[in-house]
Amino acid sequence: MAYKIAFGSSNGIHVDLKFGETDRFYIYRVDGQDLEFLEVRHVDPSSDAGKEPERAASCGEKGTGSCGGNGGGCGGNGHGCGGGTEVLGKVALIEDCRAVVCRKIGFQAQKQFEKKAISVFDVDVSVEDALDKISSYYYKIDSRQSLRKSQAVPEEA
Amino acid sequence: MAKLLDKQRYKCALGAMQTVQAIDRALPILHSGPGCAQKLSESTGSSGYFSPNIFPCTSINEKDVVFGGVKKLDSTIGNALKVIDADLYVVLTGCIPEIVGDDSGEVVSRYEDAEKPVVYAPTAGFKGNNYKGHEQVVDAIIDQYLKKSDKKQKGLINIWADVPYQDLFWLGNLRELEKLIAELGLTPNTIFGYKRGIENINKIPEAEFNLLVSPWVGLSNVKKMERKFGTPYLHYPNLPIGATETSKFLREVGKFAGVTEEKVEAVIKEHEDYYYYLISRYADLFLENRVINKQFTVVADAQYSLAITKFLVNDLGLIPAKQFVVDDTPKNYRERITEEFKKLNFGIEAEVSFETDGYKIHEEIRNHDYHGYPLVLGGYYEKEVTENLKGNFLNISWPVQDKVVFDSFYAGYAGGIRLIEDIYTIAVSRFN
Repeated sequence: MAYKIAFGSSNGIHVDLKFGETDRFYIYRVDGQDLEFLEVRHVDPSSDAGKEPERAASCGEKGTGSCGGNGGGCGGNGHGCGGGTEVLGKVALIEDCRAVVCRKIGFQAQKQFEKKAISVFDVDVSVEDALDKISSYYYKIDSRQSLRKSQAVPEEA
Repeated sequence: MAKLLDKQRYKCALGAMQTVQAIDRALPILHSGPGCAQKLSESTGSSGYFSPNIFPCTSINEKDVVFGGVKKLDSTIGNALKVIDADLYVVLTGCIPEIVGDDSGEVVSRYEDAEKPVVYAPTAGFKGNNYKGHEQVVDAIIDQYLKKSDKKQKGLINIWADVPYQDLFWLGNLRELEKLIAELGLTPNTIFGYKRGIENINKIPEAEFNLLVSPWVGLSNVKKMERKFGTPYLHYPNLPIGATETSKFLREVGKFAGVTEEKVEAVIKEHEDYYYYLISRYADLFLENRVINKQFTVVADAQYSLAITKFLVNDLGLIPAKQFVVDDTPKNYRERITEEFKKLNFGIEAEVSFETDGYKIHEEIRNHDYHGYPLVLGGYYEKEVTENLKGNFLNISWPVQDKVVFDSFYAGYAGGIRLIEDIYTIAVSRFN
């Protein structure tokens, strides 16, 4: 079964953006072991999903990172928390994907993805590396192969 | 590995976190999913300075399966060293990191120069149960922490016996064995329980010999110590309970340690005199009551199954029905253990079955003719089946539900008396 993976990236090469700060997702289509770049999906700045940078800016001195990184969970700064509409909008933008990969993904956003059974990977690697590892992982579990690295058979205890 | 359908009586190898916990001021660091740690943490008598709730855990998830969990392990060890004041840190790995190939050993080796010792024991569940895990932890300490010592301390004996927490009497048993060894004029050294810990671990290589009191658990450890430290070992294949076995035990240890026969016999006489004084006071209870059972079955690990069978036959004169060893004893030890079950007084031999399937065990108990009500000593699982047969039941092995044990024990002369008390308390309360 073919599926899609979304990457939060500024250049399509590195997974360098946090979920909260990314304004686009690079979407790859995976079919078994075949990988194919599909499209870039931009977060519409006029929609709820696009509003977050403004929100983040309103957090002021703390810097955008501390707000964006929480996927809208600015609770600590008194801006309220919870899966804000900007999180929901972004989640909806990639809800046809099987997994989302960003440098960081906040707790609230993770919860929203969990509800839709979308796997979350917050890692700081290259898109190629992530794509390779995640697709081979899914390939193995989909074809019911062992994830075991070595070929050694477990010894009789 | 055993095929288990019903009523598991041990945990996976990661359950060895209890072995670490039994070492004073030693801290397990778990490289596993949060669920493993949670499931394994329930045991009684395990709160205190460190309790399972504060054991550092990498709580690995899907991301770590795909991208590897070594980074998380590294930061977890580093931070544990910073914030938790322990004497020894033992990293234990669960199945997931070992399946996906995390090189946990390499991560741990980065802490070789840390102020406190950090060792690593691979305790993936697919490698065996917590009896094997216990051995892995002891192995890790021998291999990665201890060094060969030129200094040998005359009369210093390391004692290895029960698996802490898996055996609910572990603390009391070890203390009683220590006491007996000390009475022979020797210096016992154990690493588990109150005021033992790292200082006693440090003394391990200086011992004159290792004394292993167990049918099989720990045998690989003492063999390893023989190779690495040149420490000989005495393997006594069962926990001595009651006068017959304990006297035999003291004679054998005395002989191995070079204690004079007079000394050994003097210690034995003093204990036996008191032991048989107690027995004779209650001889009427033993001889004239009609409540005790003729035949008994023990359902326990090899240690208890063997120890209690010997005690009930040799000291109480009961007849063994079939005995069950439920610890998934490795096959290469089974023959020797089976032989031990045949070494009973009065020419009696006990049949033993290495069985882990609770259903089959209960079927056999139900179908056996005990010539009256059965006496069953086992895990809590045997309570119901014994009650249905109107038998007498005593919970002596894991899982334990109807008993609280702080430091009481069944080992030695005093332990034998405790066990008689426990069995007869149940027998007499039946009609009262």
